[in-house]
Amino acid sequence: MLSLQTLADGLVLGGLFSLAAVGFSLLFGVLGVVNLSHGAFVLIGGYAAWSIWYFAGIDPLLALPIVMAGMFVLGYVFQRTIIQWATQRASLLASMLLTYGFALMIRNALVLIYSPDFKSITPSYAFDAITIGEITLGLTRVAALVVSVVLLGLLAALLQWSSLGRVIRATAQQEQAAALCGVNIRHVFAMTAGLSAAFAGAAGVAIGLVLPFSPPDETLWTVNAFVVVTLGGIGSPAGALVGGLILGIVNTTTAQLVGAAFPNAMMFLLLVLMLIARPAGLLGHSFRGSR
Amino acid sequence: MIRFVAPRAAWTAIALTVGGALLLALLPFVMAPYSIRVGQLFILAAGLAVAWTILGGFSGYWSFGNAAFVGTGAFAAALTQVSMAGSSPVLAFTASLIVAVAVNGAMALAIAWPILRLRGIYFAIAMLGVSQVCYELVSNIDALRGAIGLNLVDIVPRGVAPERFYYWALLICAVIITIAAIAVRYTKIGYGLIAIREDEDTARMLGVPTSRYKIQAFVISAMLTAVMGVIYAQNLGYITANSVYRNEFNLNVIVYSLLGGMGTIIGPIIGAGLMTYVTQVLLGELLDIHMFVTGLLLAILVLAAPNGLLGIYDAWRLKARRQLQEQSP
Repeated sequence: MLSLQTLADGLVLGGLFSLAAVGFSLLFGVLGVVNLSHGAFVLIGGYAAWSIWYFAGIDPLLALPIVMAGMFVLGYVFQRTIIQWATQRASLLASMLLTYGFALMIRNALVLIYSPDFKSITPSYAFDAITIGEITLGLTRVAALVVSVVLLGLLAALLQWSSLGRVIRATAQQEQAAALCGVNIRHVFAMTAGLSAAFAGAAGVAIGLVLPFSPPDETLWTVNAFVVVTLGGIGSPAGALVGGLILGIVNTTTAQLVGAAFPNAMMFLLLVLMLIARPAGLLGHSFRGSR
Repeated sequence: MIRFVAPRAAWTAIALTVGGALLLALLPFVMAPYSIRVGQLFILAAGLAVAWTILGGFSGYWSFGNAAFVGTGAFAAALTQVSMAGSSPVLAFTASLIVAVAVNGAMALAIAWPILRLRGIYFAIAMLGVSQVCYELVSNIDALRGAIGLNLVDIVPRGVAPERFYYWALLICAVIITIAAIAVRYTKIGYGLIAIREDEDTARMLGVPTSRYKIQAFVISAMLTAVMGVIYAQNLGYITANSVYRNEFNLNVIVYSLLGGMGTIIGPIIGAGLMTYVTQVLLGELLDIHMFVTGLLLAILVLAAPNGLLGIYDAWRLKARRQLQEQSP
């Protein structure tokens, strides 16, 4: 029988999937760039939070803004220098290969710096839990879920109501028209890439709170972001949230009902079926990436 | 008999392939066993990349799930051999090869129609999904024994060193694959596939049977990949799901084509040779930063030569021709 506990665990996992995918989705939707180093960015965030916690003793939730700011700068510079160069000289598909190259480099660098062993962040409250009715959730899990939902909400608000958000949406719809209206396209693209990286970093912090992580995980998080985006639809925080939650719940319920070894098979089966039935995703619309 | 659209180009390509293969076939006599192993890796990579290019390079449908066909071919063969335990190794091997090609062809045919409706990045992701589903199913269904692993029969004749035997076996398969790719490229279907790559909707409007060509290319590519997968498994001797459904098979074939030149037949072969040389020989000593250097190389390559090595060559030739025209008006 499907328990409420399974659903709650699925929600927590889904929140993490959503947060880890939203940056990928944004970059894909606005620039059309498939960033295969997104998972590596997630891990950089996780390792940064781990370092701050391990060496300075600062709680990961307090370190979150620092990590996000650092990652924002990294994403901005990465876009302005490297990806921009590749997309102008070659093609969007070439940028995919380029980011794959960077993913390999980051993974290797993380192994050299932090060793290939699993790391986990265990703040003082790591073993406390709260119980509501028949559901028990660790405090770190609650924290991760809250972080995911709050940050996704903030991003949605930023895109909807701020002037930067309006410019980003305009650029995603019609690059040339936006440029004609005086939008500095390169700057907007780089700001988008910065936001994307910042949210990847934040996801890394939240993941670090809940799960142990190691450098080879970057592939997993990139692929998960792909799946989430395909399920939910490209370019919007709401799409990422829907896709992530579906994926999280499918993951935990499959593990319970079918067998612990099958969540991944189920996830990809769902992905393939979704692509065939509705390639634009549940909430997809005609942003560039989904055309 | 096959009717080539451009017979001269086709026969030249076939002659070059056979000539090159004969040269490569002589190399094991002068090489050390370690170099022969590196040679095997190169031929395996080249064969897989050429098989991939029949769909990916010609029609522009980049599959990110080539490992699905490598792995499924290997497992179909291994399971056939296990079920034929007791009969002679050569017979078991031949039967398993035929079964593997047939299973892959059937699987490709079954998924072709829905999956080839997707384009660009969506086709790529869906194929990645297919390869993951195959991997998970083979590892988790006990009857397929993907987690425990399977032994393959020993088919190396007496008196021949195994590394030489498999070098030649891989070489023969790679030649078959390359000739098949040439046959596809220079007949009507090849021109149709290239029309699809340039503009699928226009091609279809002008009467090119796009769906049929795509499905044919997909199935041919899958069946040829099975051949390579079986020999690879045979060479390993013992396979698990982890050792044949490898992510490298998904991505490296694309890298080889991009490095050499996308959409050509010689491109992936050059790319495979160069990448194998760099990763196995130049970086053989630097295992710690192996991945870092590979990534860096990829990045530099994309930034410096976005159309591959053949792209540089084409640009150079174009420039030379222009200069020639300017000199003699």
